[in-house]
Amino acid sequence: MDYLDFIDTIQSIADGVLFGATYALLGIGFTLIFGVMHKINLSYAAASIGAAYASLLILAGFKVPPAFVFVLSALCGGVIGGLVYWIGFKFIPLNNPLATLMSTLGLLLLIDEIVVHTTQGVPLAYPVLFSDVIIPAGPFNLRGDLIFVFMLGCICMVLLLLLIYRTRLGIATRAVSQQPVASALCGISTTRVNILTFVITGVLGGIAGAMIGAAIGMLSPLLALPLTVKGLIVCVIGGLGSIPGAILAGLLVGGLENLFQFWRGVSERDLYIMLLLFIFLVFRPGGLFATAPGRD
Amino acid sequence: MKGLNIAAAALLCGAAICLSDGAAAQERIVKITGFGAKSGVVRVFGVNSEAAMKAAAEVINASGGVTLGDGTKAKLAIEFLDDRCNAEEGISVVRRIAATDAFIAVGPTCSNVAESLFGILQKKVNDPSDSGLQFPIIADVAAKGGLAKISEWAFRNVPSEFEMYKSLFAWLRKTHPNLKSIWGGVEKDFAHSNATFNVMIQQAESNQFQVLGKSEWLLADTTFSTQVREMKRANPEIVVISAHPFTTCGVLREMERQGVKPKLLIGLTSSSSIETLQGCAKQAEGIIIPTSFAPVNAEAQKAATNVAKHGGSADLHSAAAYEIMFILKDVIEKQKIMARPDTVAADRVKMRVGLAGLKTTFGLLGTVGRTEDREAIKPYLYVHAKKGTWQVLHTP
Repeated sequence: MDYLDFIDTIQSIADGVLFGATYALLGIGFTLIFGVMHKINLSYAAASIGAAYASLLILAGFKVPPAFVFVLSALCGGVIGGLVYWIGFKFIPLNNPLATLMSTLGLLLLIDEIVVHTTQGVPLAYPVLFSDVIIPAGPFNLRGDLIFVFMLGCICMVLLLLLIYRTRLGIATRAVSQQPVASALCGISTTRVNILTFVITGVLGGIAGAMIGAAIGMLSPLLALPLTVKGLIVCVIGGLGSIPGAILAGLLVGGLENLFQFWRGVSERDLYIMLLLFIFLVFRPGGLFATAPGRD
Repeated sequence: MKGLNIAAAALLCGAAICLSDGAAAQERIVKITGFGAKSGVVRVFGVNSEAAMKAAAEVINASGGVTLGDGTKAKLAIEFLDDRCNAEEGISVVRRIAATDAFIAVGPTCSNVAESLFGILQKKVNDPSDSGLQFPIIADVAAKGGLAKISEWAFRNVPSEFEMYKSLFAWLRKTHPNLKSIWGGVEKDFAHSNATFNVMIQQAESNQFQVLGKSEWLLADTTFSTQVREMKRANPEIVVISAHPFTTCGVLREMERQGVKPKLLIGLTSSSSIETLQGCAKQAEGIIIPTSFAPVNAEAQKAATNVAKHGGSADLHSAAAYEIMFILKDVIEKQKIMARPDTVAADRVKMRVGLAGLKTTFGLLGTVGRTEDREAIKPYLYVHAKKGTWQVLHTP
């Protein structure tokens, strides 16, 4: 490996880690719903992209600052999150794990197809922030827009952790997650907590969708399925239900993806990520932050 | 008196019904069925093809419609079915169309569908040992080279990308004799991009350009920093990108970020669309793409306006669908197609014979030649992105 290869390797990892913040946010969404309801919401990434699309379409024709599009995407994400709960979970027998898996798979396809029919499947330009900013760091260059995405992702993660560990809603959410029956006996409304979890994860998803759009500069319905796969991988590697795990796994997957792209090319890149997933499933099924089995 | 009024009213109603029946009998409708992707990420192709077919049918109908074999005039009506760019669904859709009175179908969008679909058609006409479907199909979008060879019932009005890039690289060699090195970029998981990339590289090498290497990415990729760094290290004079608008724009944006400024940019035919300009007009400035459609004459401008009225956009793919409607009108009239339920089999044979016998056809950019392999030789030109629009750079 010569000097240039070394520089490119580090640069690839840095770019990947920064973009990995979006994977981390998606992973958090998957993991939070799993943590609370012990269900996988397969429509999460599609809903995130759907929220970003909705923010664009609602503001079509208006000249507003890009930051406003981000805020609207988060709000749309919250609304879509609530709808996903009502359609995909509320009336589905929750004791059958396959039922919600299938309903959310259906929702993934439905949201994707709604986006396709609304936009004819045409990619749309998404407002970018700091796209012209390049921060030199020695021989490396860091993209201003990706740093913004990374910082925003970090802020969201901190806010979410504060919400979960420092508020009554967070206590209720954790209570429902750990002991749904006992928390119901204590007067906590499981349905309310579930809906709020979907709305909060929806807001996060909306931000993730907007960040992905901003990082690429475009939105395409093509993104929904690969991001679903990425979100699930992050969720499993981080440990189902673990928020710090999802954060770390998102950054890890982003970095490794770029590293393998650089070392082995596009044909093999995803192979190694899948191999990593397989290794975790076999040797550390609880993920990076596997919790020791307790009395529950 | 009251009885007389009732009788008069009844008589009027009867007369009105008889007259309307008579009018209906006079005005016949010939349904032409198109099919292609109207859902999924390539939906826009189906939407554009349908709009183009409807726009052309409207023009034909406004000028009197088509004359059928029995001398009656018929109006054309368009139906468009969705195959979701899926081979199995494409076959199912065509079997459904073939089970009706249809004597021709127009489609599909995707080459993978066309390849499988043409495979279920009878390979050689009049071969009693071949029980394949005897139903003529003319493709408007499916771009992979040589597909019509699969069956004698298959036809295409699709531009030859081989010819376009052969001519483009020869022209580049002539007009830019000082440029030597090329770097390629390709969307690895998309058949059309891959096939055309091979054509581009082959033609570049044939014209003494030195191919320094290539970068690869996938259709749904979101970051291109590694690929563009490879490109930057090679420092090529020309960059050739065989990808669709979403990743073309992603790569162009990354090239701008990393300061990769080749002297020439060459793109894929399918990227000469409004999507590229909507997504990254600034970064795409100057990109050269060969295309078989641009609104450069009155006929083409009229077609573009008509297609837009029907909710589509005229591009090299949908323009082919527009032209096909006029080709079908000519064949229907020359072959004296009856378009009746009892003449379906004969009509299909006549349509096939008529299409196979064509030497030239109507084209929006000029006369289109036909090959023995039932393919089209379409006129083309080179366009380049300039100030957010596609402008004609050169007409070979």
